[in-house]
Amino acid sequence: MSELVRLTDITKVYQGGITGALNGVSVTVERGEFTAIMGPSGSGKSTLLNLVAGLDRPTSGSVEVGGTDLGKLGEAGLARFRRDHIGFVFQFFHLLPNLTALENVLIPAQLKGTVVPGRARELLDLLGIKEVADKYPARLSGGQQQRVAIARALINNPTLLLADEPTGALDMHSGEQVMELLGRLHRDGQTILLVTHDAKLATRHAARVLSVLDGKIVDDARLESPERTASEVIRVRSEEASR
Amino acid sequence: MTAVIVKALADLRRRRLQAAVIFLTVLLASATGTMALTLSSQTRDPYQAAFEAQKGAHLQVLFKGTTDPQLLATTPALIGASSFGGPYPATDLQFKSGDRKFYMTTIGRDTAGGEVEVLNITSGRWARANDEIVLTRSFSELNHISVGDHVKVTSVRETPTLTVVGQVVDIDEGSADLSSQHAWILQAAVPALTTPASSTYVMDYRFPGDPTSAQLRGYVDQLRASLPAGSVTASVNYFTIRSAFNITNQIVTGVLTAFSIFALAATIAIVATLVTGIVISAYREIGIMKAVGFTPAGVVGVFALQIIIPALAACLLGIPAGTLASQPLLANSSHALGLAYVPTFSIGLDLVLLAAGLLVVSVAATLPALRAGLLKPITAITNATAPRTASGRRLRGSAARLRLPRPLILGFGDAFVRPLRAILTLVTVLLGVATVVVAVGLPRSFALINNSETGLGNYQVVVDRSGVYPDSEVMRILNSQPETTRVIALAGQTVTVPGLGDPVDTVVFRGDSSHFGLMVIAGRWFAAPGEVLAPRALLQDAHLKIGDSFTGSVDGQPLQLRVVGEVYAIDNFGHSLYTDLATMAAIKPAVEPFSYRVTLAPGSDVNAYVRRVAAAEPDLIDARASDTSIIGPVKIIDSVLLVLAVVLVLIGVGGVFNTLLLNTRERLHDTATLKALGMSPRQVMVMVAASAGLIALVGGLIALPFGLSLHHLLNDVISNSAGNDTPPGAYNVFNPLELLLILVLGVGVAVAAALLPGRWAARTNVVEVLHSE
Repeated sequence: MSELVRLTDITKVYQGGITGALNGVSVTVERGEFTAIMGPSGSGKSTLLNLVAGLDRPTSGSVEVGGTDLGKLGEAGLARFRRDHIGFVFQFFHLLPNLTALENVLIPAQLKGTVVPGRARELLDLLGIKEVADKYPARLSGGQQQRVAIARALINNPTLLLADEPTGALDMHSGEQVMELLGRLHRDGQTILLVTHDAKLATRHAARVLSVLDGKIVDDARLESPERTASEVIRVRSEEASR
Repeated sequence: MTAVIVKALADLRRRRLQAAVIFLTVLLASATGTMALTLSSQTRDPYQAAFEAQKGAHLQVLFKGTTDPQLLATTPALIGASSFGGPYPATDLQFKSGDRKFYMTTIGRDTAGGEVEVLNITSGRWARANDEIVLTRSFSELNHISVGDHVKVTSVRETPTLTVVGQVVDIDEGSADLSSQHAWILQAAVPALTTPASSTYVMDYRFPGDPTSAQLRGYVDQLRASLPAGSVTASVNYFTIRSAFNITNQIVTGVLTAFSIFALAATIAIVATLVTGIVISAYREIGIMKAVGFTPAGVVGVFALQIIIPALAACLLGIPAGTLASQPLLANSSHALGLAYVPTFSIGLDLVLLAAGLLVVSVAATLPALRAGLLKPITAITNATAPRTASGRRLRGSAARLRLPRPLILGFGDAFVRPLRAILTLVTVLLGVATVVVAVGLPRSFALINNSETGLGNYQVVVDRSGVYPDSEVMRILNSQPETTRVIALAGQTVTVPGLGDPVDTVVFRGDSSHFGLMVIAGRWFAAPGEVLAPRALLQDAHLKIGDSFTGSVDGQPLQLRVVGEVYAIDNFGHSLYTDLATMAAIKPAVEPFSYRVTLAPGSDVNAYVRRVAAAEPDLIDARASDTSIIGPVKIIDSVLLVLAVVLVLIGVGGVFNTLLLNTRERLHDTATLKALGMSPRQVMVMVAASAGLIALVGGLIALPFGLSLHHLLNDVISNSAGNDTPPGAYNVFNPLELLLILVLGVGVAVAAALLPGRWAARTNVVEVLHSE
C-alpha cells in the first residue's frame, strides 16, 4: 500500500481559545486503509478531518493528500481538490433541502462539470435507496438521508472518503447499516477516514484506530484482528477519559 | 418595554447593513414624496397671492379697433364686473432689438396701476414719453433686453426708435417661453405706431368672488350679443393664464407624485421583505425570547422597532431634503410672478408627512412581524428557521435542460425559493426599470413634439416681414437665393367656429405645407381649399370629427370648411385651425403671409443664408435660423425624470441587495455544504449572481410593458393638458434593441448588487457553519 495522507507536525489554534486545537500532530494514512479517529468532544478529531478535507488550514505544519500539499492551494484550488479527491459524509447529512435525493447526489459531479445521472442512480441502488431518488430530504428518514449523503460523497469516485460521526444522528439500527455500508466500500478498496466517538463501531469496521486527546494522537492501534484487539482499544480510551 | 428597546437596539447594531438599506430607501422615498406634496400644495399659492395683489383680470377681452370706446366703457356694467381697466388702445407692434425682431401686442396705457391688472414694475419705471416702451420681465430676460436699451419699430414706415424704460410682471399673461407677450406705451403714442389692420381695444374685467369658467364664457357671449357683430375678436380668462403659469409645476408635480407612489411601494416591499426575512431566519431566537418572557406584542415590537428607528432617521433627513429640493421650482414660480422669493414650506405638512411615512413603514414592518409574535416557542426553538419548500424545482429543471453550469442552475432555483420575498423584490425591480423606461422615453417624446413645433428636419430658416414690407418682395428675395428649395408662407386669420365662443386663431399656409412638419394624429393634411385640420380640444369643444363639414365665418362672412385631419398643436391649448391660403381667397383675398419657413438645399450654410437675406432689408425683414432647442420647462421636466429614475433604480438596487443578503444568510448552511462538496468561491458568486440576475430578468420583462404603458399614459396626460391627443410617433420612441439594452442593464445592475452578498457567501467558513449545529 502507498501513502495517501501525510500530516506533519500539525498545530491548530482557534482564535479565542484552545478548544479543538491540535498540538504537533503527525500521522500518515495508507491507500485502502479504513482508519477511525476516536476521542471525546473537543479533542480535535473533527479538526483533523477538516484539515485533511482542506476545509480548514493548520496554524502550522503541512497536510499532504495524494502528494498534493494543501497549504499551497488557494480557495479555488482547495475547492477543486475536494471536488476531485474527497468525499465527505457529515454527522447531520447536510443535504440541500430544496434538491431531491438524486439531485443532491449529482451536485459534486455537476460542480466538476460531469453529467453522470446513470452513476448516481447506480449508487442509490447500491446503497438500497433507489426508490427515494425523487424525494426531498424532508421526506426521508435519517438513515436514508445519510445513505444519500454517502452516495453524494462517492459520486466523483473520491480518492479518500471522510466521515465525521456518520452515525451520530442516527438510531442504532440505521447506524449499524451505515457502518456496514462503509465497511463494504472499504472492502471494495475505498480509503476511509472515520471520526467517531463510538469505540465499538470503530473497532468493528476500522483496521486502524487513532485515539486523539487534547489535540494529540495518544494511541495508534492497527487491528490485525478487530475482535481480538477491540477491548484493548476501548481500555486505552477509558483510561484517557478518566485522566 | 425597556427590554424590547434594548433588544431592538442590539439587533439594529447587529443588522447595520440592513438598517442602512432601510435608511436609504426611506430617505429617497420620503424626499421624493415631500417634493411632490410641497410643490402640489404650494404651487397655486404664489399665483393666487400675486393675482390678488396685482388685481388680476378675471377676463380680458379684445375688441375690434373700430368699436366705439365709449360703448366699451359701458360693458362692465353690462356683465356685472366689479371693476375694470380700459378700454386700452392696442396694436400689433414689430420691433427690432439688435439683430432680432419681435412681434408684440402693444397696449396704450398711461399708468401701471389701476383697478384691474396692476403691472408690477420690477425694474426701471413706467413710460412718460411717446418714445418709451415697457416690456415684461419674462420677455426681457428670455431675449436679453435691458432697461435703457433701444428698440426700433419696424411695423410702421417711420421706423421710430423707442427706449425700454421698464420691466414689469403682468399677472394676466403667461411666461415668455410659453406665451405671446404684451408691451406697453403711452396711449398718446399708439396712433403713430398703429397700422390700420392691427388696431384693437383691450378691456380688463374683475368680478365679485371667483367666477367659474362657464360664467366667464357667459359674460363673453353676453358682450358678443350686445355689441355690433364682430366686435369681440378674442378673450382670455384667468383659468387659462393660471394653467399657463402652473403647467410646468403641474406636470412636474404629477410626475413626482406618480413616482413617489412608486418609491413608497418599493419601500414597503423592501421593509416587508426584510422583516419577513429576519423573522424566518430568527426562529430559534424568537423561541428563546418567548421562553425568557417576551410577550407576543413585545416580540413584534422588537422586529418593528428595528425598521422604525432607521426609517425615523431617514424621514427626519428626507423630509427637509425634499422641502429644500422643491424650493428652486417654487422660486422659479415666484420669480415669474414678480414676487420676492420666500422659502416656502409648511411645518404642518412636514409633520403630516413624517407621521404618514412612519405609519406606512410601521404597518409594513408590523404585519410580517406578527408571524414572529404568533409563533409557539417550542416550534420556534425546534425549527431554528422557517421550513423551506421545494420551490424552484421547475426552474432548476428548465435550467438543467439548457445544460447550464450547476451554479447557475442552483442560483436560478434559489431565486424563487421564498416566493413572497421574490415577488416583493420583483416589485422593486419592476418599478426601477419602468421608471428608467419612462425617463428614457418621455424626453424623446418631448423632443419629437419639439421638433415638429420647430420644424427640425423640415426647414432651417424662419423669415418674418414687417407689415409695411410687401410679401411679394420677401418671396423675390427668398427665391433669388440659390440655396432656397422650398418656402412655406404663413398668414394668420381668426375664424369663428360654431359652438366656440371666441374666434379661433387660424394658421393659413401658402406653398407645399405638407412639409411644414406638424404631426397629423388622424386623417390627413389638407389638399384642397376649404379643408382644415384642428387639434383635439377644438374638435371636442366644437363637437366636430374628421370628415365633418361646418360653416365658419371670417369677419361675418360665411366660410364652408371640412375637417380632414387632427393635428398636434399646443397653441392656445389646442384651439387653432390649419388650412391653405386658397381657403381664404374667396372671402378675404387681402390675407397675406407675414412669416416664411425656408428649406435649404442640403449642405447649405444656414448662417450665411440668414445674413444675406437679413441684409437685403435689415429693418423690415427678420431672418434667423430656426431655433430647435428644447424650451426651459421641458428641460426641467426631463431633469426631474432623470433624478426620479436614479432614485427608483437606487431603491431597486437596495431591494435586490436586501433580498440577496437575506437569501445568502439564510442559505449559509447550504452554501457551506456546497463548498464542502467542492464548490469554488467563484462558483458561489456565480450562484448568488444568477439568483439576482433571474429576479432582475423577470422583473425587467414585466417592467418593460409596464414602463411602456406608463410612458403612454404620461404622454396622454401631458398632451391632454395642452388640449391635444398624443401623436402616435411620441409613443414609438423606443428601439427594440434599446429596450433589450435596458433589460440587460437591469440584470447587470442586479448582478452588480449581488457581488457583495456573493462575496460574503463565497467566504463562508465551512467548518464554523457546519459544526455550529
